Amino acid sequence: MTTPPVDVPAAAAALRGGAAEARAGGTDVMARLREGLAAPPFTDLHRVIGLRGVQWLPDGSARIGAMTTVAEVAADERLRAAYPALAATAAAVATPQIRAVATVGGNLLQRNRCPYFRSAAFDCLQKGGDTCPSRTGDHLHGTVVDQGAACVAPHPSSLAMALLAYDAGVEVEGAAALPVDGLYDGSDSTRDHVLEPGRLVTGVALPAPTGGESAAYRRATSRSRGEWPLVEAVARVVRSGGAVTAAAVAAGAVARTPLRLTAVEEALIGATGPEDAAAAVAGVPDLCSPLPQTGYKAALLRDTVRDALERALA
Amino acid sequence: MDTTVNGTTAHLGPDPETTAAEFVRDGLGLTGTKTACNAGVCGSCTLLVDGTPAASCLLPATALEGRTVTTVEGLAARGPHPVQRAFAAHDAMQCGYCTPGFVVEAAAFVDRHRAAHGDTEPAREEIADAMAGHLCRCGAYPGIYAAIAAACAGKHDRDGDAAPPRAEAAEKAAGRARYTTDIRPEGCWEAVIVRSTRAHAVVAAVDAGGAPHVDLLGADRTVRYVGQPVLAVAAPTPAKARAAAAQVAVDYRDLPAALDPATAHRPDAPVVYPARAERRAAPAHAEGGVPPARWRGNVRGPFSLNWRGATAVDRIRKAARTGDPLLVTGVFSTSVQAHTPLEPHACVARWDDSGHLHIHASTQTVMALAAAAADRWGLPREHVHVTAEHVGGGFGAKAGLRVENVAAVELARITGAPVRLVFDRAAELTDAGHRPGARIEVGLLAGADGGLAALTMDAYSDGGASIGGTVAIMGRLVYGHAPRRLRDFDVVTHRPPGAPFRGPNGAQLLWALEQSVDEAAHRLGEDPIALRRRWDGNPKRRALYDWAAALPVWRERSTGAASGRFRRGVGVAAANWIYLLDSSTAVDLVVEDGAVVAETAVQDIGTGARSVVAEVVRGELGLPAGRVRVRAGSSDLAYAPSSNGSRTTASVGPAARDAAEKLREEARRRRAGGSGGLDAAALAALEGVRVRGGRRRDRRGYATPFPLPDGGALGRGFTGAVHVMEVEVDTLLGRVRPTRCWAGIAAGRMYADRPARNQCEGGVVQGIGYALYEQRRDDPHTGAVLTSDLEEYRIPGIGDTPEITVHFHEEGWDHVPGGGVGIGEVSTIGVAAAVGNAVYDATGWRPHDLPIRPDRLLEGIGAK
Ligand SMILES: Cc1cc2nc3c(=O)[nH]c(=O)nc-3n(C[C@H](O)[C@H](O)[C@H](O)COP(=O)(O)OP(=O)(O)OC[C@H]3O[C@@H](n4cnc5c(N)ncnc54)[C@H](O)[C@@H]3O)c2cc1C
Ligand code: FES
Ligand code: FES
Repeated sequence: MTTPPVDVPAAAAALRGGAAEARAGGTDVMARLREGLAAPPFTDLHRVIGLRGVQWLPDGSARIGAMTTVAEVAADERLRAAYPALAATAAAVATPQIRAVATVGGNLLQRNRCPYFRSAAFDCLQKGGDTCPSRTGDHLHGTVVDQGAACVAPHPSSLAMALLAYDAGVEVEGAAALPVDGLYDGSDSTRDHVLEPGRLVTGVALPAPTGGESAAYRRATSRSRGEWPLVEAVARVVRSGGAVTAAAVAAGAVARTPLRLTAVEEALIGATGPEDAAAAVAGVPDLCSPLPQTGYKAALLRDTVRDALERALA
Repeated sequence: MDTTVNGTTAHLGPDPETTAAEFVRDGLGLTGTKTACNAGVCGSCTLLVDGTPAASCLLPATALEGRTVTTVEGLAARGPHPVQRAFAAHDAMQCGYCTPGFVVEAAAFVDRHRAAHGDTEPAREEIADAMAGHLCRCGAYPGIYAAIAAACAGKHDRDGDAAPPRAEAAEKAAGRARYTTDIRPEGCWEAVIVRSTRAHAVVAAVDAGGAPHVDLLGADRTVRYVGQPVLAVAAPTPAKARAAAAQVAVDYRDLPAALDPATAHRPDAPVVYPARAERRAAPAHAEGGVPPARWRGNVRGPFSLNWRGATAVDRIRKAARTGDPLLVTGVFSTSVQAHTPLEPHACVARWDDSGHLHIHASTQTVMALAAAAADRWGLPREHVHVTAEHVGGGFGAKAGLRVENVAAVELARITGAPVRLVFDRAAELTDAGHRPGARIEVGLLAGADGGLAALTMDAYSDGGASIGGTVAIMGRLVYGHAPRRLRDFDVVTHRPPGAPFRGPNGAQLLWALEQSVDEAAHRLGEDPIALRRRWDGNPKRRALYDWAAALPVWRERSTGAASGRFRRGVGVAAANWIYLLDSSTAVDLVVEDGAVVAETAVQDIGTGARSVVAEVVRGELGLPAGRVRVRAGSSDLAYAPSSNGSRTTASVGPAARDAAEKLREEARRRRAGGSGGLDAAALAALEGVRVRGGRRRDRRGYATPFPLPDGGALGRGFTGAVHVMEVEVDTLLGRVRPTRCWAGIAAGRMYADRPARNQCEGGVVQGIGYALYEQRRDDPHTGAVLTSDLEEYRIPGIGDTPEITVHFHEEGWDHVPGGGVGIGEVSTIGVAAAVGNAVYDATGWRPHDLPIRPDRLLEGIGAK
């Protein structure tokens, strides 16, 4: 066993070539290890202090290190003030004991939660198989927006959705930074992110917050806590003189990637209060092409977004 | 690589696959930390890492390097943490398996809260947020809320004067209570069960690759569901056992499978049990025998219980023809519900040099297991020793000689070593039994006079490969003697078999019946409680109706559909259950070192059996709590019944009282002790004395003249419950939130009040799970269970728990010695229907299918 790297160059070097899988909090890696979906060697990142914490740049923008925990994002006072919907999203992820160890980088790069993918009993497109057993089987929690993939597992990352709404960038050691949606390809049924194997994500960069902004995060679940969302959404609105001048709306658990809802954003321009939310989201179901068991998600997506918007506009 | 655990330096191994949980449990022997889900969901494995709670089942042990770790054992380094005292004082536990995890998290929360806000009580929501990563299958959440609030307010900084209401509370809160999963004798081997990957196949050959193994297939070499045990292998370590299991090659000859209960009756469906002998051997999910019935393909039945059945059918047909508005018809369905106790099924078996067999088992039937093991391995009964000191929940799924016992005992015989076998969560959620689903067709006719004119029910039980549905026929026991035709069918498929589950068949029946009765009340324009009071002749339940009708939440409820996004509704449901007991029960009392020790075989699965015995002995003999100890959970002790069928308390309580009376007589004979209690001098005079108490007969005898197949008897009288549930429905996002619940229970006198209330609260929580979240889902093409972890299979959490008020009606059981009977089942079976009726009250839409998932609710209210 080699000693784990303690700085970024050593971590990047250890990962190079892609023989070892990075392990951050390990909450996804260890769960997959149990199902035979991950195997040593691992490169443990927990000692790379340089990947941890939040940096503030002179222009007011922030950079969150990849090894910063989800709990730290949820609790950081300055992040909560500048990017409230990101902090609220982080606070809703998983459970306190998971948030305490799960990291930002791991959250963005975690694998999907489809029970067919997770169970050793099934083959699937993500495991080298040639069909999606969930599409023809059970897919109650599957996708409702078609991005051209045969796989129907929605993207799991809540933080990716929130970061997408904040136009964040992802920093990769030794490569150009990319926008969050550059990390994913909704038409690819074989993987959940398209980061090249052997690459190290060092952090995410958030543009400086705009004045006059308000934002909200909502998730729909059956139980009150500790449960994956059926649908989740972030809404940001910038108002000047009482009317919305810019908006960003993103949704999760509905497609192979987190989604920006640009049509809703456009429809929001000029909106003044919560009563305008319903009209702005009216067209959302038209974006959906439900599977046999996910018809409910078309209306639920509309209404979760509406709920987030009503709060952001309140 | 080093880490500090509870103040001591410990060496970490380099294995990248070892989790922090394995490191503390297996490496350091700190078994207070439990692993129930191994998936980051349940929180039972929570440790403090540098003071912060973290799930250790997904944490690589290597990540502990240089960190400071505190386990539940370490919390009490300098006397119990206030939270540990509070958990004991508020009875914030039942089986106790989740308790160490809750305690560790709560300790961190309480310390944080007090540092920030002083000694104040946090809001319920704050506690729910902090405990969001913990699950308690027993549903001890109300006590947990109370304990954490009180600890935050600084009420438990010192030992209290009163003993905790639960005899073993301190041990459970400290993580000292040992469960079967914690037992690992020196030189112990690990066993793993290899399970079928096919829904239906004949196994032509099995190659265990040289590993010690035991075949678990029946004589017909046929597997009938994915997950069925094929064989078990053993190896000296868990990793080697898993590797050996992976090497096993099974040659399946696939056969067509019937996987969908909706089509299994069709003539072209593959038949699960084609031959008569196979049908005879079909497993049962009912307690105490399955009534005979005819088979047609995969459909078995009807088994009917009628009372003027033809009249009932005529009346309902006529009402349907004439469009009688007082005819209520409906098709209701319930989902397959998994017991999923947090301690999985587990067994550690060992043969000693003199040929005695020692079994540690997570069982609710130590005596029945010992008897069955003696029978199976041809041993004198007293050469079999079954121990179940603490059992992490059962709910019906841990009865008798089960596959884990057979495999561990056989492998121990083959290897000559102790062998340990523990189910993983996937096995627990697949092959540990379940409450079968049901499809129930109801016809219920109210007469113009407002009485019940006729009732018809056809129930189709979906117990996978098992039989024993008696859903409809239990409708014979309620709502007087109106004409009724009740028919039960089993529809078998190539899916995992069920097992008795807390109120077997009753929960399914009441989901359909109690909503139909509710509907009748609406049709008649009558208050649903008033209607039940008229239709229901049971005097004890009538007392509960009067109590419920007087509740402010009921009197002040607004009727008529509400509007707005969040809608409040109130619903009611009644429940009826039989009373069982075991008249062979005995309790021994022996005076040892100045204390009275009660000895009884009874296993405590969280229902408080120890506490019942302790309370009775203490009360009868006027002893302080410290002078009574209970030794239980061993087949070497005096005979006690199984912990199922709500029979434990009604059997053990009177036997304990009888024993206490005998000890008092003995004291009188020796002129020790006065008219009051036994004081220290009296106990000294009685040192070494041993007496045995028995279970006296009920006045007027029993409903069954002969013992039932499992040794019990059906007593006279029925227990009753009335639940009033308040919910808030979010009509935008489809969530039903139970806000408050009143549980009225008529089961006579409570032997141990707080543990009894706790069990009733847990009954409400489990009923809410059944109503809103729990549903096993399987793959339609292979029959594999998809809800095979606690993320997919959703049990209620602390935040889903309403404020619960339990009311006991304690009269009406004078014919039973001790005046009280069991509550386990009656306290849960009606809850889902109360939720259904509350949802109807809130939205005007009546749910017919369990669980009331957000997608179903949104579709239902959208279609209205
Ligand atoms: C009960 C439960 C509920 C949950 N609910 C939610 C939820 O609602 N929303 C949500 O978003 N998530 C949820 N999760 C998932 C959880 O948030 C993720 O498992 C976690 O964020 C992963 O982070 P980690 O640091 O543990 O990742 P790891 O398991 O360590 O890694 C995950 C993946 O990312 C890669 N990786 C990690 N860091 C880097 C890096 N810096 N560079 C390159 N590759 C890297 C790893 O190689 C691995 O492939 C839930 C989990 C549980 C157990
Ligand atoms: S065992 Fe770790 S969270 Fe359940
Ligand atoms: S006491 Fe919580 S699981 Fe039993």
